[in-house]
Amino acid sequence: MSAAVSRIREPLIQGHKNYHQITEDLIGPTEKAPNRMWIIAFTISVITLGYGLFALCWTFWFGIGAWNANRTIGWAYDITNFVWWIGIGHAGTLISAILLLFRQRWRTGVNRAAEAMTIFAVMCAGLFPATHTGRPWFDFFMFPYPNTRGPLWVNFNSPLLWDLFAISTYFTVSLLFWYTGLVPDLATVRDRAKGVRKKMYAFMSMGWTGKAKHWQRHEYLSLILAGISTPLVLSVHTIVSFDFATSVIPGWHTTIFPPYFVAGAIFSGFAMVQTLMVITRKCFGLEGYITTNHIESMNKVILVTGTMVGSAYLIELFISWYSGYIYEQFAFYNRVLGPYYWSYIGMMGCNLIAPQVFWSKKIRKNVWWTFFISIFVNIGMWFERFVIIATTLARDFLPSSWSYYWPSWVEIGIYLGTFGLFFTLYLVFARVAPVVATAEVKAILKQYGDQYLGPNAQPHHHHHHDETEDVEHDGHHH
Amino acid sequence: MKNQNKNTEVWVGVEHLEQDPIFLESINREFNDTPALLQADGLKLGASRRDFLKYLGFSVGAATIASCDIPVKKALPYVVKPDEIVPGVATYYASSYVKGGDYCAVLVKTREGRPIKIEGNAMSSLTQGGTSARVQAAVLSLYDTNRYQSPMKNDGGKWSKMSWEDLDKEIGGKLAAGSVKVITNTILSPTAKKALGEFLAKYPGSSVVTYDAVSSSAQLQANENCFGKKAIPNYMFDKASMIVSFGADFLGTWISPVEYARQYAVTRRIEEASKASMSRHIQVESSMTLTGSNADHRVLVRPSEMGAAVATLYNAIASKTGEATVSAPKVNEKAAAALAKVADQLIANKGKSLVVCGTNNIGEQTLVNGINNMLDSWGNTMTFANASLQRQGVDSEIQGLIREMNAGSVGSVIVWGANPAFDLPNSDKFAEAFAKVKTKVSFNGTPDETTALCDYIAPTHHWLESWGDAEPKEGIYSLIQPTIAPIFKTRQAEESLLRWAGSQNINPSAEQPYYEYLNANWQSTMFTSQNSFATFEAFWDNALHDGIFEKPVAAFPEFGWNGDVNAAAAKVTKPGSGEIEISFFETVNVGAGQYADNPWLQEMPDPITRCVWGNYLQIPIEFDGNKSFDGVGKFAGLNNKEGYKEADQIEITVAGKKQLVTCVRQFGQKKDTVGLALGYGRKVSGAAGRNIGVNVYPWMSIDADGNTQYFATVDTVSGYIATTEYASVQYHHTMGVTGKAKGYEGEVNVDEIALMRVGKGFQGSLVERSVINRTNLNELPTFLKELEEKRAEFEHLNQQTLYPYDQFVAEKYSQGHHWGMHIDLNSCTGCGACQVACLAENNVPVVGKFEVYRHHEMTWLRIDRYFFGDYENPNVVYQPMMCQHCDNAPCENVCPVSATNHSSEGLNQMAYNRCIGTRYCANNCPYKVRRFNWMDYTTADLFPVNEHGPEPFVPYDGEVPFYADNLTRMVLNPDVTVRVRGVMEKCSFCVQRIQEGKLTAKKEGRALRDGDVKSACMTACPTGAIVFGDTNNEESEIAKRYKNELNYIVLEEINVRPSVQYTTRVTNRDEALLS
Repeated sequence: MSAAVSRIREPLIQGHKNYHQITEDLIGPTEKAPNRMWIIAFTISVITLGYGLFALCWTFWFGIGAWNANRTIGWAYDITNFVWWIGIGHAGTLISAILLLFRQRWRTGVNRAAEAMTIFAVMCAGLFPATHTGRPWFDFFMFPYPNTRGPLWVNFNSPLLWDLFAISTYFTVSLLFWYTGLVPDLATVRDRAKGVRKKMYAFMSMGWTGKAKHWQRHEYLSLILAGISTPLVLSVHTIVSFDFATSVIPGWHTTIFPPYFVAGAIFSGFAMVQTLMVITRKCFGLEGYITTNHIESMNKVILVTGTMVGSAYLIELFISWYSGYIYEQFAFYNRVLGPYYWSYIGMMGCNLIAPQVFWSKKIRKNVWWTFFISIFVNIGMWFERFVIIATTLARDFLPSSWSYYWPSWVEIGIYLGTFGLFFTLYLVFARVAPVVATAEVKAILKQYGDQYLGPNAQPHHHHHHDETEDVEHDGHHH
Repeated sequence: MKNQNKNTEVWVGVEHLEQDPIFLESINREFNDTPALLQADGLKLGASRRDFLKYLGFSVGAATIASCDIPVKKALPYVVKPDEIVPGVATYYASSYVKGGDYCAVLVKTREGRPIKIEGNAMSSLTQGGTSARVQAAVLSLYDTNRYQSPMKNDGGKWSKMSWEDLDKEIGGKLAAGSVKVITNTILSPTAKKALGEFLAKYPGSSVVTYDAVSSSAQLQANENCFGKKAIPNYMFDKASMIVSFGADFLGTWISPVEYARQYAVTRRIEEASKASMSRHIQVESSMTLTGSNADHRVLVRPSEMGAAVATLYNAIASKTGEATVSAPKVNEKAAAALAKVADQLIANKGKSLVVCGTNNIGEQTLVNGINNMLDSWGNTMTFANASLQRQGVDSEIQGLIREMNAGSVGSVIVWGANPAFDLPNSDKFAEAFAKVKTKVSFNGTPDETTALCDYIAPTHHWLESWGDAEPKEGIYSLIQPTIAPIFKTRQAEESLLRWAGSQNINPSAEQPYYEYLNANWQSTMFTSQNSFATFEAFWDNALHDGIFEKPVAAFPEFGWNGDVNAAAAKVTKPGSGEIEISFFETVNVGAGQYADNPWLQEMPDPITRCVWGNYLQIPIEFDGNKSFDGVGKFAGLNNKEGYKEADQIEITVAGKKQLVTCVRQFGQKKDTVGLALGYGRKVSGAAGRNIGVNVYPWMSIDADGNTQYFATVDTVSGYIATTEYASVQYHHTMGVTGKAKGYEGEVNVDEIALMRVGKGFQGSLVERSVINRTNLNELPTFLKELEEKRAEFEHLNQQTLYPYDQFVAEKYSQGHHWGMHIDLNSCTGCGACQVACLAENNVPVVGKFEVYRHHEMTWLRIDRYFFGDYENPNVVYQPMMCQHCDNAPCENVCPVSATNHSSEGLNQMAYNRCIGTRYCANNCPYKVRRFNWMDYTTADLFPVNEHGPEPFVPYDGEVPFYADNLTRMVLNPDVTVRVRGVMEKCSFCVQRIQEGKLTAKKEGRALRDGDVKSACMTACPTGAIVFGDTNNEESEIAKRYKNELNYIVLEEINVRPSVQYTTRVTNRDEALLS
């Protein structure tokens, strides 16, 4: 088996794992009482979420006027945060779908958590368009359902409507994909559980028995969903970018937005995956499954997409000059040198410059560097959205209407609240389901485990061990 | 009236009301007679399980159905319908707006018996259908919750209500105790003066003391000295081709701005570019006034130099025309040089020149009369035929009264409309002396500083509840008729006077005693002075219908020039030597303070500073030559963060009194001067005016002739004290002001350099914006060619399309109506009448200072103000900006729910019920004219707790929010939806008026004619700058205006196809004049 893989390639699973050990390592956290770290983190998350809910209720009660958005800057924190979260939600599906299709085996270590992150991030993202409306109780007007209002229909010309479809589709497909992957692992948990837990997991694993037919259908479904998801990864952020690109406002009305937004989304998504993975592998002791190789691979993606985004920033500047159109020129002058110059500096520094350190292999493989750069990228990508949305609106065509914006405590509260929501969900997820796709890791063990690869290969011993002890539900026909 | 839809008393039917004994018995019985059906069976109280379930099901169902029903408030139909009221149809009554000397002939629009809107009366030769912001806002003051609701008596600081009978009894005795002084502002009403005469005759030694807070006292005195006529001349700005104003804000606040603005616009409008001619207007001032902002040139002088400037011009003209010069103080060199050149141009335009002066100095006014005399202005551009009576107050009279009151020789004082305890320079002295008077009665209808010091309040009607007349100019009369029955237990002041006078000419038991008195007076005076009508009834009906009666112009009276210019020159103010001088001026919104409690006017941005709810110290700024603008001298470093919504506060001391003031950086402010509006800082007033801004009256002084002086020397200026919210609707000032900058050659656009925080801006970011087009008269031919080329290029750009959109639009709007608007930037003076008219017509909410500071203002129509030209002394262009009703509207295609869409008549319309409030339309609007209901400003939301009253009407102080009050809500236009929080709104082109016009035409079985539909802004405009109409109608005014070669479309190149066109702003500068 190991013959198919280059000996130079580093193993994806380290620590001489066998199937049983994998099960213990990955299923174990769902079976133990939470440790103190988890309890502290969960408490903080829930408190933050509560604060966010309070801020949200405040908004509902008093109106959007609780925010500092104004007649000139109609969207600010709300849509900035929406685009930011939706961008973060891109890595999961990219890892699951595109890397699956490209047979990138390293994805198995991180895909589960990344997909979970996607779903939670999309939930956080969806919160903003749903609640930023003046009358959120009428949001259902946006759905094209047969109604009693005569011929009144939604406006299919509106990018906001496209957004609604794009995001809801993306969320649905991602959720299905994620759950499909979870089923075999949930069955593993079920088999080891007792009492109520057993019943619960039995329900969730949908009668999975590990039959060949189950596996076959599982794989087919995964492939089909991967096939559906792949264009979605590209389309969602493309459509989000249409919210701006189809408008007439200089600085928004830009054809470069779709590819640039997609690259940015992957960039920020991977950064967030890194942030989370670095913490998760430490907390759950998963260094053997989420190895520095994984981290390095993802850093490479960050480097590439970061540079793409950076190039797009520079191309935008060039095009604004080249257009000869004063409004466009002014919009970009204003972005760089105007009252929001600090956010432009933040964007450029964090997105274009910071990831360049990843040209060094040493830094790419360094967990601390990775963590810090991933935080930088998260911040930088937030600034990017803020620059595009608030800065552009602040000074557009008519100087009489120029304005300046900074957030109110309510807007900050809602943003913090989405962090609360995200981490609450993630922490619950990490307790309830295996954070690493156990079945998929097992599937690549014999190809990419360190005992089978490279200088550490000790195939016979471990192979034997594996066959005698660990036959539970890992019956692989590969 | 503070109850919100609360029925304090409930009754059931007429029987209850009439206390019918049978009915009363029945309501005390809990159960009615048992129904017959149950009686037959016997009353079975037991119920089976199935019955229980049935009842349960039924009652749950019934409760559900019942709770789905929103409570319906039923309107009671008329039993006998009054002839003049048709529900749903507006009725218009001619009347006159009079407040002190402010006058406007108006039509009052009433709906179901309540006045809701004021329009100009086009039959008046004086205002010709124009209005001002103050006139437009006047209807709101009728429904002011702060109005006194009955007579009141002051019992040792506590006010108690009393009846009119008791008041008459008490006062009758007290007035007889000594002489009575009646303090008034200018009274325009001849009949009121007659009533006053009767009153004064009853109490010997009595007199009327008339003064005006912003006074023309010196001018009246000077005219009396020069011509023997104590009146303001009848100015004819429309006949002038050279206008020089020494600080007179004749377009904004001076004497009769509605009239003057209309005349002025005649000389400024360019209907055909090939035959363009314009007057030249030079304004001499220190702070930029509305008039100064419209001028071609401003000559900057310190406030104390104004007299020297007048004298300099006098001498320049005198020496050039061979007259004797006078010896007078010198004005600054720059101004002197400019005035010398102005003198040449004035002489060249002899007989077509007009010089006006707003100072309150007899010497200066005499010299100005002398200048006009030398320039042959008398009889050409000004005359005493139909002389203006709009300012009659002489300042020394009230000063004399203070001395008399101190001496104890005044028995009682009646205050009628005036507020001397607030608006005199020595109001503290007035208050002291006033306290010594035994009986003090106020006729004022709302709280003010003087009324608070009185013993009795005998509140008069609001003018919309009153009968009356006015004579704003000699021989020009107009009538005031009530358009609503008095809301409160008020009584017209004239009636009170006549009753207290025990007049034989009034029948106190009549239903409307003063109406009969007025009627009789007109019969004996006006009727006899005309011969068009044979019977008084016909004459009266006609006058009442038209609202005006104008006597044929009497033969031009000859006044001999009798002015002593040398004596006058000696009286001229000596230029001060103080480091910084401050001028106090009236703003178009709150006036001398009498309009301070009107929220519409408080929230109307000042045309120049664009600030709301307060007066801001206008500090001079200069370009540092490198990067930024900064305050000059002692004002350095102040207000540098206006763009971040922050204003700085400093303390200044004038006349030994220190006050904290908020600054605003002002282009066009002379360097060693500052300006601050008067009329703010009311302490006792309705909620809207209380403690808003700073009271500057105590900083003023009185000259040797007893005339109030509206400037002072600033003794000390503190540095920065505090930062406050900068409640301004417009931060960025300019459309390119030029000057010298380091590192650049020649004149460059310095504001563009200062626009960026880091580095420098770039040339073209402001001036090349296709927002404002402007040129100078002498460059017109070149400009027209450029404009044509530019528009051709835009048209070419707009033709580049994948879709045959042009064809679509062309076909779509080729039939039926296509509504459009045209705005003449040369006629627009920026006065703001249209803006307030829009608020009144369209139920646009007032949001308060804090919300404006957050840029949450709701105005559908705003007037953008841009500076251009030399940054030290720039010109101004005003641009009324409202929804442009784009035929290719960017807002429409982005709305996910189609809440904003296009009508077949080219209107961009809002379906409020459909709007969910994504605000995408507002973001995508290139003109930023869409307004979002950020909070529940109108109290139309479901939850009463989130009602957001505008400050200072905050909902938390126990009072109901401004718009929640049933009295205030009476001002709402029933034809326009009151928008709920969370929805977007914007200018609708007054679609309700379009609909009304179409319905009227339909009922009359005819096609819609041009002029059937006029938007509220169009009817409000005093200069006719705004024209609205059907562009598909070739005969229409708008179609004609659309052909003007100077027209342009704002942001034409982005192909949104607006339905609003503007004319290029043309100035008539002569660069040699100020070089």
